[in-house]
Amino acid sequence: MSTQPISSAEINSDGTIVKKKLGIGFWLCVTWLGLMALIALFTPLLPLKSPTQNFLDPANGRPPYSPSWKHWFGSDKDARDVFARTLHGARISLTVGFAAITAGFLVGGTVGVISGYYKGWIDRISSFVFIVLLSFPSLVLAILLTSLIERSLLTISLVLGLLSIAPVGRLARAATLQFADREFVLAARQIGATNRRIIIKEILPNVAIPMSSLALLGMAVAVVAEGGLSFLGLSVEKGITWGGLIQLGSESSKTLEEAPWIAFFPILMLFLTVLSLNFAGDRVRNYFDVKETTL
Amino acid sequence: MRYYVQRVALAILLLLAVSMLTFGALNVLGDPLFNILGPVAGDVNNPESVEMINAAKREFNLDRSLPVRYGLWVSDFVQGDFGVTFSSTGQPPVSGVISERLPRTITLVLMAQFFAIFVSIPWALITASRAGKVSDRISTINAFFLVAMPNFAIAVILKFVFSIKLGWMPLTYTADDPLRSRIFQMVLPALTIGLPVAAVYQRLLRTDLITTLQQDFILLARTKGLSKWRILFVHALRPSLFSFITVVGLNTGALIGGSIVSETVFRIPGIGSTLVESVLRNDFPVVLAIVMIVASSFVIINLLVDFAYTLIDPRVRR
Amino acid sequence: MIVPRTEEPIVPQQNKKDNSYKWPKCVTIVTSETALRVCQFATRHHKQGGNLKIYGQSSRRTRRILGVTLVSLLSFAAACGGDSSSDETSAPTESEAPATSDAPVDEAPVAGGTLRVGLEADVDGLDPTASALAVSGLTMAAAVFDPLFTFTADDKVVPYLAESIEPSADFMVWTMTLRAGVVFHDGEPLTTDAVMKQFEITRNDPLVGLAVRPYYPETGAVVKIDDLTMEFHPLEASQFFPSALTAQLGYIASPSWLDAVAADATLAQAPVGTGPFKFDSRTEDSMTKFVRNDAWWGTDIIGPVYLDAVEFYPVPDPSTRTELLQNGDLDVIHTTDTDQFPTYRDDPTLTLDIDEDGEEYFLMINTAKAPFDDIRVRQALALATDRQGYYDLFNAGEGSMADQMFVPESPFYNPDVKQDGNDPAAAAVLVAEYCGENPTAEDGSALCTDGKVNMEYQWSGPSVLATRIADFYNEGWSESFNVTFDEKSQADHIQEAALGIYNVVGWRQFGAENPGDDRVWLECRNIGGISLNWPRYCDEERDALIKEIANPATPEARTASLQQLVQNLHDSYAYIFMTYSSWAVVQSEKVQGSCDRVGPDGDSLVCRTNGRMYFTSTWLRS
Repeated sequence: MSTQPISSAEINSDGTIVKKKLGIGFWLCVTWLGLMALIALFTPLLPLKSPTQNFLDPANGRPPYSPSWKHWFGSDKDARDVFARTLHGARISLTVGFAAITAGFLVGGTVGVISGYYKGWIDRISSFVFIVLLSFPSLVLAILLTSLIERSLLTISLVLGLLSIAPVGRLARAATLQFADREFVLAARQIGATNRRIIIKEILPNVAIPMSSLALLGMAVAVVAEGGLSFLGLSVEKGITWGGLIQLGSESSKTLEEAPWIAFFPILMLFLTVLSLNFAGDRVRNYFDVKETTL
Repeated sequence: MRYYVQRVALAILLLLAVSMLTFGALNVLGDPLFNILGPVAGDVNNPESVEMINAAKREFNLDRSLPVRYGLWVSDFVQGDFGVTFSSTGQPPVSGVISERLPRTITLVLMAQFFAIFVSIPWALITASRAGKVSDRISTINAFFLVAMPNFAIAVILKFVFSIKLGWMPLTYTADDPLRSRIFQMVLPALTIGLPVAAVYQRLLRTDLITTLQQDFILLARTKGLSKWRILFVHALRPSLFSFITVVGLNTGALIGGSIVSETVFRIPGIGSTLVESVLRNDFPVVLAIVMIVASSFVIINLLVDFAYTLIDPRVRR
Repeated sequence: MIVPRTEEPIVPQQNKKDNSYKWPKCVTIVTSETALRVCQFATRHHKQGGNLKIYGQSSRRTRRILGVTLVSLLSFAAACGGDSSSDETSAPTESEAPATSDAPVDEAPVAGGTLRVGLEADVDGLDPTASALAVSGLTMAAAVFDPLFTFTADDKVVPYLAESIEPSADFMVWTMTLRAGVVFHDGEPLTTDAVMKQFEITRNDPLVGLAVRPYYPETGAVVKIDDLTMEFHPLEASQFFPSALTAQLGYIASPSWLDAVAADATLAQAPVGTGPFKFDSRTEDSMTKFVRNDAWWGTDIIGPVYLDAVEFYPVPDPSTRTELLQNGDLDVIHTTDTDQFPTYRDDPTLTLDIDEDGEEYFLMINTAKAPFDDIRVRQALALATDRQGYYDLFNAGEGSMADQMFVPESPFYNPDVKQDGNDPAAAAVLVAEYCGENPTAEDGSALCTDGKVNMEYQWSGPSVLATRIADFYNEGWSESFNVTFDEKSQADHIQEAALGIYNVVGWRQFGAENPGDDRVWLECRNIGGISLNWPRYCDEERDALIKEIANPATPEARTASLQQLVQNLHDSYAYIFMTYSSWAVVQSEKVQGSCDRVGPDGDSLVCRTNGRMYFTSTWLRS
């Protein structure tokens, strides 16, 4: 692919390009993400109702109870508080997203940088591995792997991390290739710096910029992937996840019709989080003017 | 010529690698014996069970090494024998299951793709020509929203709005219905997959168009007095189509992944929902077959896109 | 008519070499939440001596046969013991209209029309000697077969296909006389030879035979007297022997058909019996059609059959079934989905008949496996279970909670026996005592962790409802138990139950019209590698009670023994009773006379038995 999409170029009506800034939207998104992160970390300490307790209230008829002062987001069919469950859902969904992209960056980034720098047979092999991994639609591979293993927070994060290795590695490699032949690297080598030192001191800082701007986008993908898996029932066992909550709320048309809040509040949270990650990541990418380069 | 041969060889190699990975994963991480025999596989104190275990091992070649088993499986697979399903429900040959369900998924994916293409092109044209204006910004925000919403969430929302609240679309897919009804029943599922993809296409195409529109030959066309639409369609769109086609082809993976979720939510018996069911049932032969089919089509489409690209733009050939 | 197919059909396996087709042999079972299909591709071989030996062929068959055995047993068990009861006694069923007449008295039945019935599952075959029949299968079977005996609305056993039966003084020999002049749909006459042949085939079937073999001697179980008379020689005295012949064991099939099925298993789908309807056509998982048998023996003796034909449509999804009924695409359906009950009540064009005198839903504990081999742990689990909450959440106000295997209206109900539950504090005390002893399993692993007992709760999935229920139970148990969830595929779930590889499962059972027939789930003799006594609880006292119940000195003694049995079941803590199953039969206003069934001697016959339906007296208002 030889085109270089600039995702949200700020273009005025007369065709001139406006100086890019992060903008208020970016900071709104960051605020939301920060809020989510705090929630994910501190949920057990917050004064919430228990997410697993069944708040049966015979005076109120049969659950699901619609949103009220007692249940801000209403209750689900088993009289569990949707608000508490949605907030708890943030824990697994965000943790998996974060851990997955971290693992992906660490492994994929390392492999990509090394293969981009050293080239040769390392490059050939890793490129081939990347292509193999990319030959699967990622959801299919994720389904395959999660079905075979014991599904815990760690293993799911590892599986999703595995899936992110290829795109991250490819990018790291491309970025490294850009810099590996530049003058300052050659100069460093002339001076006698070891390869290791060159990589760490010269390559990494330059590669880190485009990579980090992709971290947010990558996390968005990971959160969505985890949501898809948990929607299908293949995420962490016995865990409360957004995808799982959405599945419970939409499984039967009857539930969806009579108590849409069960599914829609988790959908809202998930959507806002992924939107924030996407938007913020896009802004950062824009700011650093990162272009997707050829394979 | 050499390039083509190389690429085909690479594709075959790729498929072999994919199949090895899948086969290996299923046999190493999973326990085929358990999947064939169920709990009896662990009942080693009972001589009758042991007899069954040994017989199963012989029949399914489980007493031979992994590479040998893989070789046997490959030779069966390329002859079209996908085996019979493992599960105790004794379903018919896997190929039967697949041949019945694959057409539905293909229909769904094609419908989604068509929808995405025919929506994104005009959308991109309009927004590119109004770059920077309010309508463009609004559309950008919309596109963002669509991309940010996971496809299962879109499915639930569409189902809620159009099937339940408005009642415009049918709730279920019925295999017996005539073709027209079935296509109609697939509209919402196709939309589920197609909408986010349309947004991605639109964003890319729009950017491309904007870049193209800034070039000199467009300016020349405008001074010549050509109408805006003629410029857009005839002159601006064509160069941008290259990357568009590439993206369309490469997005097949996203479409297939989307079909898994869409089929599950709307209960369409295609290979996407079958994959999920088989995985949950530990039905290895079906899982293997579907994964291989999906990967093969993915690889082949990528190959074709690559070839088409080289035909269009010879410079790309390495 | 468009019937939504929510299950994919099973297509035959083609042998390319000789272009023949092999139909799968499948069974459909109703378990705690779902209907289950298990199939095998095998031609049937008749087994000798009841061992699970497979002739020739591959081990896949072995496994499948085992799988089918175990799975089918449950169905057969459920069929035989579980859902053969309706009006247990004179207790009224909870229907709005009197159960015997749906039409104003002066409206006369008209002949003609096709009744469309919505069932919860399809069958793979209607062979009484081998197919494990659950509710749907038994409903279909009742149309093409006649049972030797049947129950009246007052719960008496009366002859039906048989003409009479006489016990010996000690109830060890039962002499049965068949009705003369009865022919099967293929013209074969009903004779002693036919019944005896069927008995032997059933006994030797590895599936169905497991409920027959423990109760008869190896030889001489049935002795021919003449072409219409035979003697049964059960191993033990039973005053209620004929009740065993009112369900699947009593459906007599044509001997030439049984021979044909032995050669070609696919013919099991085209049953040949003596019944008021005969087989017409079938598309598996789509529709099965029976047409009126004008040569039915009952036309003269019992009365005319009004319907021209009956069409059975399997519709596994309860909401779809309701929709079809309301649209007029179906005339009558059955369901246990209590969520739908208000819909039926609110619709004036529908008649709702609820039957709650039959089976119970309970949690079943494997008493042969640690930690639940210790009665304290079982009791603790019962005490920790939130039974009231379960009822409030998952029963939607329908039906009622169950304390034991009898309903309060039953004369055998023991008012002193209440199911323990909803007392987590007491549970904690027991668990603390147990864990204080640092118990270990056979392999040395600790049975308690952090002062809580380690256990597994197993169910068949994937099912959102089952997962919700599991989450709910866990909420109540987690104070004293470390619960591991074990979601299994349906077939594995049943297999593990039958093989005794489980801790706790949800189950449905009991409710036989003759409570003595439930013995097959309770006796020591039914524990084995495959165990119909699912909890594997053996108690000689219980066995002695059961023997007494079968052969009581007086009716009062029997009542007392049954009540003691209830107490015994409670004290074993192998079952945690939760609710009575609510089976509903819903009809459109066109359907009349379904409960006007009469027997050969004019007795009014039972009309609803746990979701089963009968069509001999039904007619359609135009």
